[in-house]
Amino acid sequence: MKTNLKLYLTAISSIGLTVFFIKSNFRTQSLEDWVFIYIMSGSVILLNKFLITLPPKDNSFSMDSAIFLAILFLYDIDLALNVLFISCFVEFVYKRKMLWWKHLFNFSMYSIMIVGAYYSFVFFGGRIGEVDVYNLFPYMVSLVAYFLINIGLMFLLFVFLGSKFETFNMGVLLESFVGYLVTLLLSLVLAILLYEQRYFGLFLFTVLVVILSIILRKFLYLYQEASERANKDYLTGLYNHGYFKELLIDYFRNSKLSNLSLSLAMLDLDDFKKYNDCNGHLQGDELLKFFGDLLQAETKGTNYVVARYGGEEFAILMPNTTKEEAFLFLNRLRKQVNDTYFTGVEYIPYRCLSFSCGIVEAERGMYDSGELIHKADQALYYAKAQGKNNVQIFDEHNISLSVLEFKEDLDALEQQVKIFLSKDVYTYRHSKRVFTYALEMSERLDLTDHEKQTLILGALIHDIGKLEIPRDILNKKGKLEQHEWEIIKKHVIWGKEILSTEKRFEDVLPLVELHHERYDGKGYPYGLKGEEIPKLARVLCVIDSFDAMTTERPYQRTKTFEEAVVELRRCAGTQFDPVYAEKFIELIESRYLPRIKEQMFG
Amino acid sequence: MVYDGIILSLLIGFFRGGNLKGIAEMKLRGGWLFPILLVIEIFIFILQNKIEIVAKLSNGMFIAIYATGLVFLWLNRHQPGFMVIFAGVLLNFIVMVLNGGRMPVSVEAAQFLGREYIEALKAGVYGKHEAITSSTWLPFLGDIIPLSPPYPRQQVISIGDVVMNVGAFLFVQHLMVGATKDETKAVPANQ
Repeated sequence: MKTNLKLYLTAISSIGLTVFFIKSNFRTQSLEDWVFIYIMSGSVILLNKFLITLPPKDNSFSMDSAIFLAILFLYDIDLALNVLFISCFVEFVYKRKMLWWKHLFNFSMYSIMIVGAYYSFVFFGGRIGEVDVYNLFPYMVSLVAYFLINIGLMFLLFVFLGSKFETFNMGVLLESFVGYLVTLLLSLVLAILLYEQRYFGLFLFTVLVVILSIILRKFLYLYQEASERANKDYLTGLYNHGYFKELLIDYFRNSKLSNLSLSLAMLDLDDFKKYNDCNGHLQGDELLKFFGDLLQAETKGTNYVVARYGGEEFAILMPNTTKEEAFLFLNRLRKQVNDTYFTGVEYIPYRCLSFSCGIVEAERGMYDSGELIHKADQALYYAKAQGKNNVQIFDEHNISLSVLEFKEDLDALEQQVKIFLSKDVYTYRHSKRVFTYALEMSERLDLTDHEKQTLILGALIHDIGKLEIPRDILNKKGKLEQHEWEIIKKHVIWGKEILSTEKRFEDVLPLVELHHERYDGKGYPYGLKGEEIPKLARVLCVIDSFDAMTTERPYQRTKTFEEAVVELRRCAGTQFDPVYAEKFIELIESRYLPRIKEQMFG
Repeated sequence: MVYDGIILSLLIGFFRGGNLKGIAEMKLRGGWLFPILLVIEIFIFILQNKIEIVAKLSNGMFIAIYATGLVFLWLNRHQPGFMVIFAGVLLNFIVMVLNGGRMPVSVEAAQFLGREYIEALKAGVYGKHEAITSSTWLPFLGDIIPLSPPYPRQQVISIGDVVMNVGAFLFVQHLMVGATKDETKAVPANQ
C-alpha cells in the first residue's frame, strides 16, 4: 500500500513538474506581466485564505480556480502557471508544517489541471484573449476537464492513502459539484471584469469573495453554536440526554458492525438529595457543574463520550473498551473523586464526594441500545444497593428477583393473560402450556436465576399482543388471507408495546418481540439471524412452535408429540436453534412421551 | 507606502472592533534600533546631494541600514507577521545588493510620476533609487508596481514592499484584535 502511494505521488509529481517546465515561462516576461503575476498571485493567496464554507457541514472550497481559469481564458497558459508557482511557493513557505509532498502533489495536480483545461479549451475552438459569449462551449469543456482531472487525481490519492470510501461518497461529490458550478460562473465573471477593467475588476472580485467568505463563516459559526446548544446540557456543558441517546444508537450499531467492544457506564452521585437539602439547590447546581467539568477533564484525550443523563446521573460511553478496562478507569476516577474536596460535602453521610457506577459491555445477543442502558442501570442500582461509592459490572447473577418479587410479577402478568379467557381461550391455554414447558425447560438449561425468571415470565406473556387482533381473525377456521396474516404478524410488536408500559418488565420485552424470529433469518418482525437473536427468545421460539404444532384445535389436524419431535429435529438449524431444540426434545422425550404411552397403553 | 499600509491596518483594526491597547503594550527586542536607523536614513537623504563623501558612501550605507533592519526583524521573528516583514525586506535587500545598493525602478511604471522624477532617476540621485536597464539584476524584484487611481496616491512600489506591508498588517491586526479575540476564536478552521 505504502509503495503504491509513493509510486503514485512520484508519477503525478513528475508529470506535473514536466508539464509545468514545458509550458511555464519566467524569462521573457515583461515587467508589466510581472506586476500582473504578482497581483494575481496575491489574489489567489487571499482566496485560499478566505475559503467559501458551505453550512451546515463545514465543507469548504477555494475560489482560486476561478482566477486560474480566467487567466487561461484571457491571457495565456504560461501566465497561469507562473501565478500558480508563486502562490504555491508562498503557501509552501507559509505552511511549513504541512508535509512537503502534499505541497508538491497539490502543485503538480494544479499544473496538470491547468494544462488539461488549456488544451481542451483550445481543442474545442476557444479563442484566448477575450470572452466570446457567442461560443460558450469551449469554456464548458475546459471547465469539465479541469474538474474531472481534479476529482480523478484526488480520488486516486484517497484510494492509495487507503482511506475509506465513505470520505469520498456521493454527498461530497454533489456538494463539490455545486462548488464547481459556482466556480465556472465566477471564472467567466472574472474574465469579463479583467477584460474590461483589469486590476480594478480583479479588486472588485476579490473583495466580494472575501466578504462572502467572512459572512458564510459567521453563518457557519452561528449554526454550529446553535446546534451545539441544542445538543448540550446547559448546566454542565456535557451532552444532554436526547443527544446522548442518538449517539448511543450510532455507536451501538457501529460496534455491532465492526465487532469492536463498546462499554457504557452510568454514574450517579451518592446522596445528592441530601447535599441539596443541606446546601441548597444553587450549591447543588455548582456541584453538578463541578462534577461535569471533572468528568470532562478526566476523559480528555480519550474517545469517550460523556453526557449528563438525568438529574445527578451521568453516562460515559466508551468505544473500543472492554468492561474490565472500563472498570479500571472508573474505579480510579471514583477514588480520585473521593479525594477531591468540594464545599458542603461535610453534611453528607460519607463526608466526601462519591458516586456509584454500573458498567455494561455490548454483547452480540443485545438487540438494541436500550438494552445496554437498561443493564447499565441495573448494575448501577446494584452498586447503590451494595452501599454506594462503588463500581459494578453488570452481572446476571446480581439482579435476579427475590422469590416474592418474582411471584408478584408472575401474578401481574397472569392477570393480563386472563383477558384471553373470554376473547380467545386457545391463546390462554397455549400461554399456560408454554409457561409450564418454560418452567421445566429452565431447569435443564445453564441459565442464571435472572434469565430463568425472564424466560418463565416471557413464556407466560409472549402472545399478549394477540389482544389487538380481531376475534374473527383469531378464530377463523379457513385459510388466512394475506392481509389477515399481516395483522397476525404484528402481534409481536403490539405485545411489546403493551408490556413496555411497565418498566419492571423491560427484560421480558425481547422475548415478546422476537419469539417469531427464525434461526436462519427468515422470521419476523426483523429477520434477525442466529446469535443476533437473544438466546432466551430462541428458546421460547422452540417451545412456542412445539406447542402450536401439538395443540388440538377443532377442524384442524394436529401433530402427535412424536411427529412434533420429528418436525423439531427437521427444522433444527433452519427454523430453530439446534442446541436448544435438542435440549427441548430431551425434555419432551423424558417427561412427556413415557406418560403418553402409559395413558395409551397402560 | 509603508504609512498607507499602517493606516489601512489601523482602520481595519478599528473596524474589526480592536483597540490601541495592544500597541501600547507591544514589546519588541532591540526597539531602540528603529529610530536610529530612521535618523541615519533621513540624514543621508538630505546630505547626499550636498556632501560628496555621503553621496559616495550612501549605497553602502543603505545596505548597512537594511542589514541592521533585517537583524532587528530576525530578533523579533516570533512576533506574528514579522517573518513576513522579514521576507519583504529581504526581497528588497537582495535586489538592492545585486544592483549596487540602489533600488531599481521601472521607468515605464514611473511615467506618471512626472518628468523631473524620471530625470532624477536616470541621473541616479533620487533617494536610494535608480532606473531599470537591461543590465539590472532581477528587475522583477524592483519598483515595478505602479499605484494609480483609483488608489489615492501615485507611487511605484516593489513586491518586497507589498510583502512587508502584509506583514505589518498582520502584526497590527494581531496587536489590535488578536489578543482579545484569541480565546473566542471561531471554530471553523478548515484545511
